[in-house]
Amino acid sequence: MKIVVTVKLVPDPNAEKRMDTATKRLVRTGVDTVINPYDEYAIEAALQLKEKLGGDTTVTVFSMVPETGKETVRKALAMGADDALMLSDAGLEGSDVWGTAYVMAQGLKKVGFDLVICGGLSDDGSSGGVPGALAEYLGVPGLTNARHVEVADGKLKCQRETDNGYQVVSGPLPAVVSVTMAVGEPRYPSLKGIMGAKKKTITVMPLSELGLDRPVGNDGAKTELLQFAPPPVRAKAHVVNAEDGPSGAKAIFDFLKEKKLV
Amino acid sequence: MQHVIVFVEHKAGHTRKVTFEMATEARTIADALGGKAHAVALGTGAAAIAEQLKAYPLDTIHVSEDTDVDKFLLDPTVDYMEAVAKSTGSALIIVPNTMLGRDVGGRLMARLDAGFNADVTDMKVEGGRLSITAPKLGGAFITTKAFKNCDFGIVTLRPNAFAAKAGGAGAQVVQIEKPAGKSYAMVVESEVEEASAEMGLEEAPVVVSGGRGLGGPEPFTTMLKPLADALGGTVGATRAAADAGWVPYSLQIGQTGKTVSPQLYIAIGISGAIQHKVGMRTAGTIVAINKDGTVPIGEFADLLVVGDLFKIIPELTKLIEAAKAAHA
Repeated sequence: MKIVVTVKLVPDPNAEKRMDTATKRLVRTGVDTVINPYDEYAIEAALQLKEKLGGDTTVTVFSMVPETGKETVRKALAMGADDALMLSDAGLEGSDVWGTAYVMAQGLKKVGFDLVICGGLSDDGSSGGVPGALAEYLGVPGLTNARHVEVADGKLKCQRETDNGYQVVSGPLPAVVSVTMAVGEPRYPSLKGIMGAKKKTITVMPLSELGLDRPVGNDGAKTELLQFAPPPVRAKAHVVNAEDGPSGAKAIFDFLKEKKLV
Repeated sequence: MQHVIVFVEHKAGHTRKVTFEMATEARTIADALGGKAHAVALGTGAAAIAEQLKAYPLDTIHVSEDTDVDKFLLDPTVDYMEAVAKSTGSALIIVPNTMLGRDVGGRLMARLDAGFNADVTDMKVEGGRLSITAPKLGGAFITTKAFKNCDFGIVTLRPNAFAAKAGGAGAQVVQIEKPAGKSYAMVVESEVEEASAEMGLEEAPVVVSGGRGLGGPEPFTTMLKPLADALGGTVGATRAAADAGWVPYSLQIGQTGKTVSPQLYIAIGISGAIQHKVGMRTAGTIVAINKDGTVPIGEFADLLVVGDLFKIIPELTKLIEAAKAAHA
């Protein structure tokens, strides 16, 4: 079985981000580019499936990313994926959610798959719309927010998270699945994994190989950025040292009352 | 873009406040664009929802009680939405920024080759053009965007960011015909409820949230829950608390969890690291209780009370209950 995991690279979510007010762009200095944390769970889910299914099951990483992201993509190979394909092209700059989903789907068609596994969201865009859109463009069943993924007898069976529990959902392959962090903590690459990843293949594919019939990137985008501003600044807290329970409680209660929140 | 179509998320006829926020906003935007405001309710309970929605300023409520919507994952829902969109013509489609809303929105984007904007907190029409405000990168930036090159635009609306206002009623309820020639593959075999269907974390007006400082699972039920109940809110948690197994992941706020914008956020035993901050920084008022006065949350909370949370919380709950009793 061929499993393809989609991986996005994002600015490190653990870094405080600042905007350069002159250029209105993210200050990249001191902010690393990392694998989207949600996608690490997708890689983990794929590797778990591979271990369970054994045989000729392979895990391919698929990423739409500039070539400079190659070494970050390699981390997914160090975790245990077999190979990677990067769709890298200057013509992809300025892609919006639609463009990302459309181009990725055309790339995935080219790669071929039995199962596509995605993270539930991207940390930078947080649209969450891409996995469902991939299923649509690929014309295969889609299943989102899976916390447990099982493949047996060529069929997919998953637990899909809901607000207060889960649904058991089943369907045929090929399919697109997105997973939640409940699939299990992503593994760290072992030293052997890191060494091995250096020999694994990362193929770089330009946009021209997809033979697209419509404009993408900036030209094809269906949204445009009008403005980009920092969030309203929150002032530092008023600090009260509470000597005991009642005085602490009273400080909060009085504050809430003043704000008309009680 | 001329018209507005609202996707109604509901469970057997029970819906959330965000539905009414969307219906209200749909009217405002439709009027500004010179179009009509539609809503679509599907599956078991759709007719009951339509009755409730009649109190809001919509023009047409499209309904189908087709049970395929409940039996199969998403595909029937998206078929109906696509059919309504295509018969309506160029429109802004509003879905809630929830797991289901983002799913429906993403799929419709592909069906309609539409533009997509997620987690929207404000919309305006200026010179006949819609502009959309949404925080990005965990709220580090606020972007304003517009649609281009598309007949349909999709927005996922952040719960609690828009007002819900009844009135201007008179909506017509119409039945949608089942789109022909479809077969569905993803079967919903069963549904398991693990927690009681409490108020959605994303739309609770008050969130009482606990972190590592609580030391275990018990205080969430014995202390935070009573305080949240007294304030008419619900309980949330940090990733540390969820990772420790003290609460389910569905309560986790912040990076890899949920984003909330309640009127009041009470952070208890929470240091306020960036991973948590990104999920709650847009709350109206933030109150923190911590034993350490130097925690990062002091940089952006409104009030930080330094003291013993185990002593403060029960007293605070008492004060609020007493005030409520005095008013009743």
